[in-house]
Amino acid sequence: MSEELIGKLKQAVIDGEPEDAEIFAKQALDQSVDPLDCINLGLTPGIQEVGELFSKGDYYLPELIIGADAMKAALDILEPALVSGQEREVVGRVVLGTVAGDLHEIGKTLVGTMLTANGFLVTDIGVDQNSEAFVAAIKENKADIVGASALLTTTMLQQKKLIEALESAGIRDSVKVMIGGAPVTDLYAQEIGADGYAEDAISAVDIAYRLMDAPV
Amino acid sequence: MERPPIEPIRTSQELSFLNDQQLDNLQEATLRVLETTGVQFPSQKALAIFAGHGAEVDDDSQIVKIPRELVFKAMSTIPRYFTLGARDPEFDLKLQEGISFFTNDGCGHNVIDFKTGERRASRKDDVGMMARINDYLSSMAFSWTMVSAQDCGVTSPLHELDVTWKNNTKHYQSVTMMGEIICRYGVEMATVLRGSLEEVRRRPPISLIVCTIAPLMQDKEAIEGALVLGEAGIPIVVMSMPTLGTTAPAAYAGALVIGDAEVISATVLMQLANPGTPVFHSILHAWADPRTGAYVGYPLDSRVRYAPVEMAHHWGMPALGGAFGTESPALDSWRSAAEVTTDPLLVALAGAEIVTGIGLRDTYTLLYPEAIILDDDIYHRARYSLMDMEVNPETLAVDVIDIVKPGGHFLGQKHTRKHMRTAMVRSVSHQINEKGKYRHPVEYAREKVKWIMDNHHPEPPSENVQDEINRIIANAEKELIE
Repeated sequence: MSEELIGKLKQAVIDGEPEDAEIFAKQALDQSVDPLDCINLGLTPGIQEVGELFSKGDYYLPELIIGADAMKAALDILEPALVSGQEREVVGRVVLGTVAGDLHEIGKTLVGTMLTANGFLVTDIGVDQNSEAFVAAIKENKADIVGASALLTTTMLQQKKLIEALESAGIRDSVKVMIGGAPVTDLYAQEIGADGYAEDAISAVDIAYRLMDAPV
Repeated sequence: MERPPIEPIRTSQELSFLNDQQLDNLQEATLRVLETTGVQFPSQKALAIFAGHGAEVDDDSQIVKIPRELVFKAMSTIPRYFTLGARDPEFDLKLQEGISFFTNDGCGHNVIDFKTGERRASRKDDVGMMARINDYLSSMAFSWTMVSAQDCGVTSPLHELDVTWKNNTKHYQSVTMMGEIICRYGVEMATVLRGSLEEVRRRPPISLIVCTIAPLMQDKEAIEGALVLGEAGIPIVVMSMPTLGTTAPAAYAGALVIGDAEVISATVLMQLANPGTPVFHSILHAWADPRTGAYVGYPLDSRVRYAPVEMAHHWGMPALGGAFGTESPALDSWRSAAEVTTDPLLVALAGAEIVTGIGLRDTYTLLYPEAIILDDDIYHRARYSLMDMEVNPETLAVDVIDIVKPGGHFLGQKHTRKHMRTAMVRSVSHQINEKGKYRHPVEYAREKVKWIMDNHHPEPPSENVQDEINRIIANAEKELIE
């Protein structure tokens, strides 16, 4: 029974059916299936397959996003049921957000989805987030990488402020910084001392793997 | 392998450059030219036909003056719509209002070799290559002689037909058949392909374009060849190419009159000789540079380039509209696209039944095989621009908008998943590579040409038919060389 439910969870993610994923997650808990097995053997392989289908060109952005939504719907039910000490297997932990004064969301969301589909644990803190919020989230989630998005020439300056804030908080050496957004360039990333720049969500995955010293 | 269907431009819109009064005035001017000035027909056969029907024929000057009564009588037998048969019946073209069938350009004589990049004279294998590419592309409703088979001597028009049939299953319109002898062999080849002359008449697999000589002259070889094809019920396009300022008045209306008089006089001849012969009307005028006399096809102002289509319809004739054919010698310069980019839009809005000419450069003379892929893109931009838009509850998506709310995004919606793949149609500028980056259009175009040549293999004529075709060409060579 547990194998069947785990298979259904995986398929709900591949098919992009958040409602089904939620139902199967609840059934799994009702039937005392280990929530960690549901995540590691169902949801994670499911989202990885979504990522592979996207990479091959069979899936497009909506399939990717809805697959991630399905995974999140199930995780919201399964994660609270994990017993103390149990943890998901992840490539790395990422805190992601759009900087202060900037309300643009979609680019950051796509990066988060791509990273999730490639095995990262992503905490998206949303848009218009100041450096203090980023620092707090990094500490709380023990992040390996922080990703800061800015879509305006006026707000990209906040990416530099974030790096300064990380230094002030004494955590710059423990977290890698990725930046992105329409006006941002590789050169700008180097100038402000960021560790990586990605011009789109697909290359963001490669950068994140590199920053984790993980094989791409 | 699945073969793409033909995708003609369909539109319920129509653009009128000329009003009814202007069209009547133009027609009246043409009638006056035909009655009082006349048109030269350097063909005893043509002169005899005109004389036999009461036209005023001067044997010395070979000028024919045609009374308007005779013009209208002859024009009463011309069919407005008919079928251009294809080798494959699925590709038969039924002419009708609201649909424009396009084809490639012709007839070039220089080629930038696809493999070596060197410039050279065009050959029979180039004709075959482009016929194969034409067969695969959905923009191509029928096939034109894109370049000439200069390696085949006097029978090159027959070799062009032969190699086209080996590589193409659509209707073929020859741009090069001239003269009674060649056209007689052309009819024989069509008869072999169809099995009988009756079938040729019912679904003509070929048609012929003949050009007049401005101002107000017909070409003997063109006219006598057209008469042979007309007798077999094979459609003819009569095309005039007057140049404002040199071979036509420097005023646009006057140039139209010159072109119209040439086309109508030839059409009258076709109808008198063989009533009911399908004939297309076509005027592709150009301008002479007022300083140098150079031939200019695309000056800044070409507002009424498509007015000839309306004149054709005013006579009750179908039209061949001219499009593309940039003066630019470059494959993908700003100029090569800018000069022609509104062409397919305007000519389709004018309502031309058939349209040439996609894919050549340097004013219809230079072939880069990959240019047809770039121009195919311009064609489809026009096609999509003229499509009807769907407005219904599903496409309005008000419920989805309410779910997403201000500041959200639509990527996570199943409605988006359902529609996003088809919402954006990829142009040649938006072909992505494995890394998700947009490729250079020329790189993509070259790859597509290679892919078509490697993978698309249309069914050639049967062995028996091919043997007969070879015999006909051999006979033609013998007769013409002797």
